[in-house]
Amino acid sequence: MKLSIGADLGSTAIKVVIHSGETPLWRGCAPTVPRQEEVVNRLVAEGLAAVGAVGADCELAATGYGKRLCASARRSVDEISANALGLFRLSGGRAGVAVNIGGQDSKAIRLSPDGRVADFRMNDKCAAGTGRFFEQAARILDTPLEDFARLGAASRREIDINSTCVVFAESEIVSLLATGVAKEDIVRGLCASVARRAAGLMGAGFASGDAGAVYLDGGPALNACLVAALADELGAEVRVLPAPQYTVAHGAAFSLLQ
Amino acid sequence: MGDGGNTAGAPQMASPAADRLGKALGRVRDEAGRELQALRARPDRLPAYDYFLDLLAGGVRPDALERRTGKPALNLLCIQAPLELAHAAGFLPFKIFSGSYAADAVGASGRLPALVCPMLRAVQGVVRLGGGEGRAGDGGNPFLRRPWVLPTTCDWIVKLPEMLRLGSPDLAPGLHWLELPHLKDAEPGRRRWLEEVFGFKAFLEDAAGVKIDRKRLAASMAVYGRAWAAFARLGERRRAGDVPFAWFLAVANSFFLDAPERWTEAVGALLDVLPRARGADAAAGRRAGRVFFAGSPVFFPNFKLPGLLEEAGLAVVGDDLCSSGRVIPPHGPDGVGAGTSEYELVAALAERYHQGCLCPTFADNDRRVHGIFGALDGGGGRRFDGVVFHVLKGCHPYDLESCALEAPVKAKGLKFLRVETDYAAEDARNLLTRLEAFRQTLG
Repeated sequence: MKLSIGADLGSTAIKVVIHSGETPLWRGCAPTVPRQEEVVNRLVAEGLAAVGAVGADCELAATGYGKRLCASARRSVDEISANALGLFRLSGGRAGVAVNIGGQDSKAIRLSPDGRVADFRMNDKCAAGTGRFFEQAARILDTPLEDFARLGAASRREIDINSTCVVFAESEIVSLLATGVAKEDIVRGLCASVARRAAGLMGAGFASGDAGAVYLDGGPALNACLVAALADELGAEVRVLPAPQYTVAHGAAFSLLQ
Repeated sequence: MGDGGNTAGAPQMASPAADRLGKALGRVRDEAGRELQALRARPDRLPAYDYFLDLLAGGVRPDALERRTGKPALNLLCIQAPLELAHAAGFLPFKIFSGSYAADAVGASGRLPALVCPMLRAVQGVVRLGGGEGRAGDGGNPFLRRPWVLPTTCDWIVKLPEMLRLGSPDLAPGLHWLELPHLKDAEPGRRRWLEEVFGFKAFLEDAAGVKIDRKRLAASMAVYGRAWAAFARLGERRRAGDVPFAWFLAVANSFFLDAPERWTEAVGALLDVLPRARGADAAAGRRAGRVFFAGSPVFFPNFKLPGLLEEAGLAVVGDDLCSSGRVIPPHGPDGVGAGTSEYELVAALAERYHQGCLCPTFADNDRRVHGIFGALDGGGGRRFDGVVFHVLKGCHPYDLESCALEAPVKAKGLKFLRVETDYAAEDARNLLTRLEAFRQTLG
């Protein structure tokens, strides 16, 4: 059987998945660097070797900001449509709303009953409240991003953090640290702040009761503290798929079956 | 062939400040040159488009218009000032505009609030570049050689003279205001506007030293009537899918760069040779999402959004931009006949501009909203798949209107996408993502 490969060439990471029909077989990622197609080719080679399919008949669909840099792609699909399709298929058709916090943008997508994009919102060119903001915060806090969920869970009080701006976050976080606020509370405050911004992006009615289940994806969805903050902000359950950073790449792979 | 933009013929400069402006001038020229090159390289370019490209290449400046026509230009900041009156007085109306990011940067230059309309910042930039910063008086600056007519449409236009004075007192132009009522459909507003139009007529007669009599005005109304008729036919061909948005914009943006008679002839010549979309082309046209483009104006050389729309597979087959589909105020039957008096002619003109103006600046905006829905519904059948609403960052009337329009447009079963941007290119990929996804939602 021909293998379907989905490549999501994002602003901070390149994600590649390999499917056999509807079944995901492998996934892998690497940081985004110049000569992105070479990174994709390396990941594809690695993945095909891992599933024992070197030399197999396969075709590739590209998505993400760098999708046009991938000359070998048979298909190019925008990341909003890929996100909707990937989430819809992987959730077994249960997903109604996707909130994706990516490296430098955030999106809210409402899905139609057949998994297409019914409506969407996306931040403009400001990277406030995106993955870049968390990266900057992690650097200032001198704490790996992977620890944010644990730290947030240990927080005893929520700090009100006003800025989700990548630039102004530094002065605000440094001020909080200087006044003795615990790192755990700052992390929780950061998550609440990003969740408020994501919920604000959606606006009233976007994720209303009949819209279906809300899923958070993108790398920051691995942070359980952010997931809880978004659920709190929306007043609704927020679900997360396993490996939520690959949802868009999966969507690209699924698009080859359409 | 000129270099386009608003900068041709700028004076030589020597001081460090002038050197800085000289570099900015180069960037403005390069920007215009790149856009013109992109238009010339399009596979759908026809020789009949060259006239319009040459106008844009010759410079968006009043002195370029004066050299081309031998007539004095009258600087306008908005199309709400009746063009026919200016023409009847012997002027050629010249709408000052700029879509240049480099000029925008010069206009901003640290003195203005961040959220000033990019177009008006760019206008300040081209005025500064037009004469050279610090140059005393208005003798050397073609933008200041004649007075500016400012209809008080948006707040940024109202504050423009103050903004210019902030930058350099020497750059403040002479002004004639046309005060628009906030309430358009109220009788006092109509009376007020009529008074303003008569005031404009008196101002023009004084400035030109001529009397705008019935004969002159009727002749000028006929000139613009023919221009509007030709442009309306071009609009029909666009709705049929025969005129890509970039070309339509190039034609519309060049309207104020030559005598209207010559521009009208060139549109007619274009209409004669414009191929009709057939066969594979027509099928491709049907596959493209057909959208109505509304909101803030798009000005040369900032064709960023039109280019991205095309790249995303969206065909703009109708718009309500004052720089494009609305650039010539509509000419309906005015009830003007052989026995119509001079007063009646001016009154008919005033009423036509008053009713025809679909700018969202009025407090009673219903006529505009109905106008947009009329365009969306007109002609029967489904003409558009969706609406793309453009907000220039800082353009508050359109920004607010986008919020009010979204729900009713969607209630009609049409998709709606609001895009907010400015003249910078840095958000192009972000915008393209949205436009591509929007295209997918159109089915």
